[in-house]
Formats: sequence, C-alpha cells, structure tokens
Amino acid sequence: MTTSDVIRNFITNEILHNPSVIPLGDDESLIESGIIDSLGIMTLLAFVEREFSVEIPGDDLLPENFASISAITALIERQMVR
Amino acid sequence: MELTFTEEQAEIRKTIISFAQRELNIDVAERDKAGVFPRGLWNRCAEMRILASLFPEPYGGDGFDFTTTVSIFHALGYACKDSGLVHSLITQVMCGILIHLFASRDQAARLLPDIASGRLIYAQAITEPGSGSDALAMRTTAVKKGDGYLLNGSKTMISNGPIADRVLVFAATDPTKKALGGFSCFLVSTGDAGFSQGKPIEKMGLRTLMNGELFLSDCYVPADALIGREGQGAILFNEVMEWERTLIPACLLGELERVLEETVQYAQEREAFDRPIGNFQAVSHKIANMKMNVELGKLALYHAAALKGSRKHAALETSVAKLFISESLKQACLDAVQIHGGYGYMTEYEVERELRDSIASTIYSGTSEIQANIIARLAGLKPHATTKLS
Repeated sequence: MTTSDVIRNFITNEILHNPSVIPLGDDESLIESGIIDSLGIMTLLAFVEREFSVEIPGDDLLPENFASISAITALIERQMVR
Repeated sequence: MELTFTEEQAEIRKTIISFAQRELNIDVAERDKAGVFPRGLWNRCAEMRILASLFPEPYGGDGFDFTTTVSIFHALGYACKDSGLVHSLITQVMCGILIHLFASRDQAARLLPDIASGRLIYAQAITEPGSGSDALAMRTTAVKKGDGYLLNGSKTMISNGPIADRVLVFAATDPTKKALGGFSCFLVSTGDAGFSQGKPIEKMGLRTLMNGELFLSDCYVPADALIGREGQGAILFNEVMEWERTLIPACLLGELERVLEETVQYAQEREAFDRPIGNFQAVSHKIANMKMNVELGKLALYHAAALKGSRKHAALETSVAKLFISESLKQACLDAVQIHGGYGYMTEYEVERELRDSIASTIYSGTSEIQANIIARLAGLKPHATTKLS
C-alpha cells in the first residue's frame, strides 16, 4: 500500500465528515471542503507520526501541508529523508 | 502505585515543596480576600528557576525535559496554596512553549530569556466577548499594512492580561478562509500605540490571578511580531493546548493530593458519636474515591507528559488528563467541604477557598465539555458535517 493509500484510508475511516466524497482523490481539497478541521489535523498528525515513525516539526505545521492527500504524502516523504 | 522519579527529579521536587511551603503560603487567605497579585512571590518563584525549567540553556533556561518540568509543577501545585499564583506561572511557561515551538531563532533568542527569568510577564490572548469555547470564532483582525499589521478587536478574561508586559494575541489574518489558515499569532507589547489593558475582573476563585480585558485599536505591530507563519494560528493553538493540558493538570493533581491529605487528617481528628468521623463509611468512601483518583490521575498525567516530552501529538491523552484530573479535584473539594461540615464552609478552613479555585479548573484551557467532545471524536464519533460536498 502506498503512503497516499494509507493516508486516504485513515481520513476515510477515521476523520471524514461526509462519506459522500468517497473515494477521495489525491488532490481533493481537504481543508476548503471541510473534510478536515483543526482537530482533524491533530488526529492525522498523531497517526502519521505513529504510522511512519516521523516527527513533524513546528515549522511544518502549516495548513498548506495538509491541504490534500498529495501534500500530506509529500510532507511525510520529506520527513523520512531527514 | 508509586511513581518513580529520577534522583534528580526527586531532589528538585523536594526543593520546590520545601520552598513553597516555607515562602508561598504566608497570608494566602488575605491575598485571596484582597485579590492582589503577589509580584514579590512571583519573583521568588523565578529565582527558584520554576519558569526556566523547560527552556534551553542558550535561551536562559535550565534545559530540563518536559516530564521533569511536569514533576516540578506537580510539586508546586501540591505545596503552594496560592492557586492563582501557580496559574499565573503556568501562563508564563505556556507563552514560552509557544515561542519555543514556533518562533524564529531570532525571536526565541530575544524573547525567551525574559520569560525564563520572569523579568517580564507574558499573557496569551485568545478568548473574546463573543467567543469562548468556540475560540476560532474570534473577531479580532490583523490586516497587513506596510511592513507590519494593524490589529483591531478586544479580548476578555485574559490570564495575566492586566499586568502583562507582553501579550501573544491571536487574530484573523484572512477572514475568508476557514479556521485553518485564517488565523495568526502576534506579539504585542505594553506601550504599543493602540494597545490598552483593562482592570482585573473580580472572580469567584483564583483571586490572586489577574484576569482582564485587552483592547486593540489600530494597534500597529511590525512584521517580526508575527509568531510562526501567517495562517498558522489554529494549528499553533491546538498544539500549544496539548502542552497546556498537561502542565495545568500537573498542578491540579498536586492540589488534589493536598486536599486528600487535609481531609484524611481532619477525618482522623474530628470525632462524632464517640469515634473519629473517618470510621463512618459515608466519610471513608469519599476519601477512598479521592485516593483512587490521585492514583489514576498520576497515570493519565505522566502518560501525557511522556508523549509530549517525546514531541508526539497527544490530543486524546492530554484531554483525558485535563478532564479527569480537573473534575476529580472539583469533586474532591466538594467532598472535603462536606466532610469538614460547618467548618468546611468557613473561610478559616482552607477547603472553602480550594473549592472556589477548583471550579475554574473545569472551565479554563477548554471546558470539561470541550474535553469530552475531543475525546468522543477521537473515540471514533464523526463530527457533524457542516459542508455539503458535491
């Protein structure tokens, strides 16, 4: 399963407000569409750190890094090579 | 359960307890009645390095880990009967944590030494007259002007607000965006044109903690007053709340232990019907509940502290610690007053003040209801869908 798929599954099963958007596309807007809110991001962060053994530093806690599955995947991959 | 502190942590805790019992509890009832902030005692706490524990040495701190810092505030909550002073100190440390986590290195180097030394008093301004639990419904705005921002709005019930030298103000930088991305955090200083502080608001408890209104009227701040990035406010707020919901329960757990000790002592000494009242199960079972909650509270607190100390995100664990310990303290204080009978209702016996102080703990830093909402959501309940998606 790719990183994007893991993130998609988590958002779909644990966070999603509205099941009618399934399946979520990689570039689907998560914030503007209200799929994830500020607590949703914290939930997602805890999951990402646990699942991928990465630490997301304060500098990267930016809304744009959580704007879509693609953005979240890129954030994780940046942390993994650090 | 016996918590295992390291030798160093145990020694620091012993020092803090001895200091607080010797110096911080004198005239606490009078201070509470007068509702005055004990700046001299604040300075003594700063000299004891209570504000410096967590911050790196290059920034004027002592560089201890978070669990050690939590153990220090746990000890302080136990030994210091002036809960308003304790809350004021936590407010300062929380501002330091926000700066340490999100400010630039230059900002941290400039600001943290005065936080760690206690030379300047800091406050964090989120709550507004129209937004409490719904914090991100705030109306204070920050509009770009030239190289800086123009702030307008008002804040209320801000801890340390009336006496603060510096305030971390949350404001909307882009009202068209949803909460995420629409808010930012700014440093405002006393003396900044357009910034003014109201008088302390009189309260039921925590009367030595100064809470009040702050007013921003075309208050211009330069670009380097922005803490973190523009639009980062909501994430920054949630992250800082996790640290606060660990540090505050540390003090509350210490208070709970003190209330338990006071109540056990009273129940052993006070006699009715020819025997100590502690021999009656109506009394002893209340005390058993207090003890049970102390032991469970330790588990919740130090679990949350370990997670935050290793920089993990812990919205669930910190909300559990905050909700469980604050509600346990409030119930313990109610039971302590009941066990003390008529004396418990008199100001001479300190459980009356402890009850008044404890009620605030279930309101500030997110009410118990908000903590329960977070926990329910993280237990798997889906939030209400506010946006219809096509």
